[in-house]
Amino acid sequence: MRYGFATLTVLVAMFMLQNIGFSQEFDFFEPHTTLGGYGELHYNYSKTEDGKSKKILDFHRFIIFFGYAWTEEWSFKSELELEHNLVEEGQGELELEQAYVNYHHANYLGFQAGVVLVSAGLINEYHEPPRFFGVERPFYNKVIIPTTWFGNGLALYGFASGFDYKLVVMEGLNSDKFSASSGIRNGRQKGFKADAENLLYNGKVDYLGIPGLKIGVSYIYNNAKGDSTTNQIGLAEFHAQYQKSGLYAAFEVGNISYDSGDIEASRGFYFDLAYDFGRFFQIQSKIIPFFRYTDINTAAETISGGNSEKEYHYTQWMIGLSFLPINQVVFKVDYGKKTIELGSVTTDLFNLGVGYMF
Amino acid sequence: MILKSFVTAVIYFLFFSSANIFAQEIKERTETIITESFEKDVNFTFRKYTLPPNIKRKIEYIVKQKFFKDLLYVYKISLNDTAIAFGFLDNVIGKSMPITFFVLLDVEGNIISTNIIKYREPYGGAVSNENWNEQFTGKNSDSDFTIGKSVNGISGATISVNSVTKGIRKITLLYEEIKDDI
Repeated sequence: MRYGFATLTVLVAMFMLQNIGFSQEFDFFEPHTTLGGYGELHYNYSKTEDGKSKKILDFHRFIIFFGYAWTEEWSFKSELELEHNLVEEGQGELELEQAYVNYHHANYLGFQAGVVLVSAGLINEYHEPPRFFGVERPFYNKVIIPTTWFGNGLALYGFASGFDYKLVVMEGLNSDKFSASSGIRNGRQKGFKADAENLLYNGKVDYLGIPGLKIGVSYIYNNAKGDSTTNQIGLAEFHAQYQKSGLYAAFEVGNISYDSGDIEASRGFYFDLAYDFGRFFQIQSKIIPFFRYTDINTAAETISGGNSEKEYHYTQWMIGLSFLPINQVVFKVDYGKKTIELGSVTTDLFNLGVGYMF
Repeated sequence: MILKSFVTAVIYFLFFSSANIFAQEIKERTETIITESFEKDVNFTFRKYTLPPNIKRKIEYIVKQKFFKDLLYVYKISLNDTAIAFGFLDNVIGKSMPITFFVLLDVEGNIISTNIIKYREPYGGAVSNENWNEQFTGKNSDSDFTIGKSVNGISGATISVNSVTKGIRKITLLYEEIKDDI
């Protein structure tokens, strides 16, 4: 009897090992390190109505992506960013934009813990220069969705049946630093010994089931807190992007509501229309002229009313060109005119840029 | 004693199978695609095919993407002892992880279907969408695979789209080189 059980055990083990040996042939994963990055050099020229002009050459962003995968499920991913070439006397920034342990259970469920990205709009999570038009990121993604928006926290993500979702819980915003000119942007704590008393909650759903189309919504809630103020904010936004048969179109609209202070709402939208003329030639390159219209007001509704609701109301049109010799390198040029509602003050803007990703 | 044997077997199972659960998924998913792709009962055989170095280098130069390994997995699908299709299981690197994909070709080298068998990245999972993969059906080694022209991109999946498209094109070129050998 004893030998019978021992034989059974050995047979079961042999059967398992035989199957495992065969299935191991289909195990393609090996632990590895990944290096990547992106960057962009800009030339910015602006001229106001009164003739004042400014010319700047700026290596705006230099980012190194570093990752390591221990198993198919467990990996680490990070992005370290140097802004404006150096960090000196309050100029330039060195930021850990992403640094998280990633657990990928399956396509429909994964988990991140560390420095994670808020999931909102088209640019915050996909901000490499070849991915967007214009030398600078859209102004909408500066003051309505303050890109790049990152912080210490946790995220759940997944993709199933054409739907892409992400839920984020992370450090909140510092309400003392909200302003009429830049909304919530300066309230980001950027992971620096972040006050974790009032956490930020974020959810996003995108639908990608129709070829070429991405359409989605997100919401962010935070009872923001500073040393001297608290301000409950809610950011609701809608975004859509279409890329098919040479046509490119993008649209984002968002609204931030505040429950205290003079500002009651910030809101704005923009849309892009573009077409790749490179497809008419026997070349790999993309030649994409584009048009953008933007309408932003970081103090769209205020308690004081009157001119305070016009002072930060910008409208801007822009035309430009992206030339991508290969998909990972882009040369950009754009020209636009920005008008502030109060006094109808206009500024001419001209930008040149080169960007890359790998 | 029965309990002891049972526990031992379970331990064996947990110890070895947990490390190979992904590998089994890949094998099962691939073979399910084969059986569901043909109306009649077909037979298939599997082999590992070592890439001839000169062919490997030539295709890598054309496509500007290296093969994942020096070998890939080839399924020969037959009906009444006559080959009717070939399946190629290979990998490309996405942003940081391998993407396992499967290409079914008819004997003329035209793509019957492409499928993402295993996606391991937190972003870009939409490359596994069936309706994105459908655009490759009918393409062959002479077809244009330029993204944005003949192949539509996916918002937020730029790197994965580039990698998978090149990987699929490599298979169509490879088939023309090795069809008499498989």
